[in-house]
Amino acid sequence: MVIIGIPTFGNLGLKEVMNNRFGRCASFTFVTIENNEIVEVKSVANDAAGAMGGAGIQAAQIIGNNGATEVIVGNLGPNASNSLNAVNIKIYQSQGGSLTVKELIDLRLSGKLQVLTASNVGAHAGMGGGRGGGMGGGRGMGGGGQGRQF
Amino acid sequence: MVEPKIFCVTGGKGGTGKTLVAVNLAIMFKNRGYKVLLIDGDVENPNTFLLLNAKLKNKTEVLYFLPKIIEEKCTKCGLCAENCETHALLYIKDSYPIPISTVCSGCKLCYKICPTDAIEPDLKVIGWTYTASAFNIDLFLGELKPAEARSAVIVNKLMENLENIIKTEPEKYDIVILDTAPGAHCDVEELINSADFVVPVTEPTRFGKVDLLRIIELIDLLKRKYKAIVNRSSLLGYKEKFLKELEEKDIEILGDIPLDEEIVSSYCQGIPLMEESSKFDRDGAGYKSFEKIFENLIKWGGFSK
Repeated sequence: MVIIGIPTFGNLGLKEVMNNRFGRCASFTFVTIENNEIVEVKSVANDAAGAMGGAGIQAAQIIGNNGATEVIVGNLGPNASNSLNAVNIKIYQSQGGSLTVKELIDLRLSGKLQVLTASNVGAHAGMGGGRGGGMGGGRGMGGGGQGRQF
Repeated sequence: MVEPKIFCVTGGKGGTGKTLVAVNLAIMFKNRGYKVLLIDGDVENPNTFLLLNAKLKNKTEVLYFLPKIIEEKCTKCGLCAENCETHALLYIKDSYPIPISTVCSGCKLCYKICPTDAIEPDLKVIGWTYTASAFNIDLFLGELKPAEARSAVIVNKLMENLENIIKTEPEKYDIVILDTAPGAHCDVEELINSADFVVPVTEPTRFGKVDLLRIIELIDLLKRKYKAIVNRSSLLGYKEKFLKELEEKDIEILGDIPLDEEIVSSYCQGIPLMEESSKFDRDGAGYKSFEKIFENLIKWGGFSK
């Protein structure tokens, strides 16, 4: 059995479109696979979506606490990738386009997704903006830092 | 025993000429026989040493707290991660918390609240301090490691080094000049708070004015004395209007510095404009303006020499 976590927008299950943002997506859809078949789908709200900082770390906690051992992502920031790697969660890169959870799971099961080992956008790339969810790289605010402490 | 007088050159807006003023004030005090220490508090972009053409020495690491999890003692309760303001502890149920060093603020809360004392202080390098000397001026300089957030810790370290000198050799320096970063944030605040006299440097633009008013708000909150300097005063012909606006707001100025090619030339050469051994034109507009500013500063500070 394997549980795959995918950043999404709401709770439409397999019909959800993947959210390119990881730490600041609205929800995660978790899909449980047994013998190459989908046996369970559930949605979990991402409480970290509006966090000042550390959203990627909190999101990785949600992934881990829901028993997932794999994620499929669009953009992934440095804190999120470090966190997922630290807890040995395998990261797959989506192929782009507005793919649904179902389509992504099919791609994963047929071995068509690439493994991602490091972040692919800078820190805080997913901050601001709204649902939109269009493809294309992050805005690359790399090194934006963690917000100075007063 | 006389402790050094401390001047803080600041200004809110970036690029107004804070470093230019700080370096040349230091040089002018030195020319008059004062023992001068210059502290570059812009630890994200330290570059006073470039204006002084100085070589950095005594690179020293600035260390900061980072939690270290002692697995033999940890009960995996998650209390540390739950309470971590910056979410720098990654905790997944039934596993040991993992510190994420880049977001750790070093507050030590996790260390203090761990019910089984399973967190020990570890240290990470967040930056460096240096010293340098040029033109008979000593320089303290700090550098924040890129991607680290706690610039104020480096500034604190520089000021700690100054305090130690004042404690052990109070007469080593007569004058200390602090050059701040742009902005009105915590490291700028610390430097202003340490000063006897504050010199905000601005320029006659709307950006300059708005940022000057903000920094003056901070200086007033800290109850410090200040007098401003208007740099690039010949810019676009706004000088008279700008000076009048400052006067209306009861902002006193030490003087203004016009645009001057010799200032640019001093920048490029790494020789301060006011250095006594330099070959800059003593009748130049920039040179004259600095002389006038210095006379006003001496009067304001009540210096006898």
